Amino acid sequence: MSDLDRYIQLLRSCKPIPEASVRELCYKARELLIEESNVQLVDAPVTICGDIHGQFHDLMELFKVGGDVPDTNYLFMGDFVDRGFYSLESFLLLLSLKVRYPDRITLIRGNHESRQITTVYGFYDECMRKYGSANVWRYCCEVFDYLALGALVIGAGPSIGGDDHAELEVIQTTGEAMRYRRAENGGFVTVTDRSSNNTITSKPRNPDDNDDGDDDEDTDDTTPLRVLNSGHPTGTSAASTFSPPSHPQSSAILCVHGGLSPVIGSVDAIRLLDRKQEVPHEGAMCDLLWSDPDEIDGWGLSPRGAGFLFGADIVKTFNHANNLSLIARAHQLVMEGFKEMFDSSIVTVWSAPNYCYRCGNVAAILEVSEEGGGVVRSSGERGGGVVGGVGGGGWEVKMGPGRRYRVFEAAPQDSRGMPAKKPQADYFL
Amino acid sequence: MSNLQKEFLRAKLRKLPLEPPMPLHAPHGLSIFPEGPDEAVEASDELPHSPLTDDSSSASSASSTGTIRPSNFHRPLQPRKKTNFDPIPWNTHFSSSLLLPTPDGSSTFHIYITLPSTGPLFVFHHGAGSSGLSSALLATSIRSLLPTAGILSFDCRGHGETTTGDDHDLSLSTLSQDMATVLSLTASHFGWEKLPDLVLVGHSLGGAVVVDVAKRGEFRDCVIGYCVIDVVEGSAMDALQSMQTYLSTRPDGFETVEQAIEWHNRTRTLRNPLSARISVPALLHPSPPTSTSRHPWTWRTDLSSTQPFWENWFIGLSSKFLSASGGKLLILAGTDRLDKELMIGQMQGKYQLIVVPEAGHFVHEDVPEKTAAVLVEFYKRNDRSALVLPPKMTAVKKA
Repeated sequence: MSDLDRYIQLLRSCKPIPEASVRELCYKARELLIEESNVQLVDAPVTICGDIHGQFHDLMELFKVGGDVPDTNYLFMGDFVDRGFYSLESFLLLLSLKVRYPDRITLIRGNHESRQITTVYGFYDECMRKYGSANVWRYCCEVFDYLALGALVIGAGPSIGGDDHAELEVIQTTGEAMRYRRAENGGFVTVTDRSSNNTITSKPRNPDDNDDGDDDEDTDDTTPLRVLNSGHPTGTSAASTFSPPSHPQSSAILCVHGGLSPVIGSVDAIRLLDRKQEVPHEGAMCDLLWSDPDEIDGWGLSPRGAGFLFGADIVKTFNHANNLSLIARAHQLVMEGFKEMFDSSIVTVWSAPNYCYRCGNVAAILEVSEEGGGVVRSSGERGGGVVGGVGGGGWEVKMGPGRRYRVFEAAPQDSRGMPAKKPQADYFL
Repeated sequence: MSNLQKEFLRAKLRKLPLEPPMPLHAPHGLSIFPEGPDEAVEASDELPHSPLTDDSSSASSASSTGTIRPSNFHRPLQPRKKTNFDPIPWNTHFSSSLLLPTPDGSSTFHIYITLPSTGPLFVFHHGAGSSGLSSALLATSIRSLLPTAGILSFDCRGHGETTTGDDHDLSLSTLSQDMATVLSLTASHFGWEKLPDLVLVGHSLGGAVVVDVAKRGEFRDCVIGYCVIDVVEGSAMDALQSMQTYLSTRPDGFETVEQAIEWHNRTRTLRNPLSARISVPALLHPSPPTSTSRHPWTWRTDLSSTQPFWENWFIGLSSKFLSASGGKLLILAGTDRLDKELMIGQMQGKYQLIVVPEAGHFVHEDVPEKTAAVLVEFYKRNDRSALVLPPKMTAVKKA
């Protein structure tokens, strides 16, 4: 077993690796990340995830729900560290997976991947506590500076952007899954499964993936979903090189931690930035990591003290000009795990359930299918296809959903080894 | 990044040692206050005594004292010298001190003020048991960063030199009414037709008062924003249970004012001796002849007798803070002081949070320059003049 595999094994069991190994890992990661563009191109299918914030056990829950690396392709939109108790293990695990499977996992930078923020919100203290020195924190901060600022998911299914084709799956802690599809009012309705006759098991998607044979085991207990056929693939042949597609329905998804910037009019403008630096207090790079969408016209002041607020008009103009079907971003806690805004032109994905061990929210990940197929499950199955309306009355065949949200809850309390309750602040009135 | 940039970085990366370079040491800003020997005491006291030795606990910044400070922020240790605890008068930090009687003559409010020229007026409300001079160093720091700004700080009911019909009525509604009264008395005293732009700043109990004032909306047209310093509903309510125990550990009184200043500094109640020398004298008064105290100097405000109001001050604070109109700034001495509501609000981007781990509860007294810098930046961002957007990068691209 290689050193790297050994680190991964250690980190998967939530154990820190020796300081010298962190140094080596971070060095390798830097070499890899420097090759990446500011806006990394990622092929669908891919599972897009939001903030993690050091909630290691919930990250394990995420992998259970979404499938393990490298069977599932992942794109993490930053904020790996701070707040939670295992920032170090969470970030190093993701980083070692990145080094081990560079094409299977994409990491982009969040506003917490910064020296200034981590000294205040916990990651620095955690490194000091676990290693007795700031070296590991410094190695990690160096890596932060090399992380891409965004990603462009290309070759996504043709139904992306169509309101009818989003699907939601809620995974309960018991492992049961409920499925919903989007209703006409924009909400989600339960999928009534009357299609068992049509169920077929499609061929594994990645014939070259040597794990295909046995990887069903990982997910079957948590996602006892019926496998549906993939309906009528209508897409043209998959476009795997990046060129703005002429057909708006097969356009790309921009993933970024925060949102848009008033100084950035195009995806190409992001490519021009010099990203290898600490997150600045203002300017394009800061805005991409700090801004939030809001129900306003145009641009507004962000109450956060960094970045901007941007309205529906800004998103629609930007998406149109850059041939985007969707902007996926994280950065804001959503109690329901995800939130689409502005006619589904932007979505917030939040992947830290019960944030900070007290907020009571659920988490979500967004699975994006590849062109010509339904959502591809972690196990290589194709999801989607036949869905029935609520209340019987005949059911219709639809194209596979372009995106599927999987909503999940926090890992059970007893599995996470919570630290003892902290001393309360000595308030003086 | 362009290929050229990448090529350059690649070349640079090859030359780098395996170990990444140390982050640059931030140069320490020049202090506008005479540098005492005291900061060395603070730095040396803090590091080795972290209570967080238990490895299973990742409790980060559980309290400000438990926070380990980044080593690159450490000041070089200096030999300890005898600290000067002489009182400093108010007029080194404010231009006037006024007694403003209410029209009906029932109350007289004591204010300290430095008038604004063209800038905003920062209005400060101190916490329970403190006084208007708590903001003295903050006032000077704000003025040095924004010379057009003014500062108004006052002794609230039952504190300092303010006298009212009922000094024992410290209910939240009375206190926020008092703050409104002080603003209108000040406006009429100086003959202002309308109030200047206001930034309300409250520490602890004062934070609850300024949020209540902002929520009531009486000054909606001039309040640009409000700032709460180190108080959060959830953790304040938790801490109230142990408050009487804490109060019982305080001495009843002191032999001299210098001794009181020394006590505040030694117990790290106030970590900045310079600030203690200004703010502590106003917390004391000569023992009344009727008093049973054996000390010549006793507390001006009997904090334990204010207990009936404690819950009333803080209940609903978080939701009012999030829902009042105006810019919102929360300055805390430790991150773990956020309650659930404010944690959710912060992660949804509803307000600005600044954490100052190097400070104690009296953040504005311990680190006045940093607090002032945060407040001035907060004002500038929230200034009503139209939002100015930076130019698009396409223009830059051609250059």
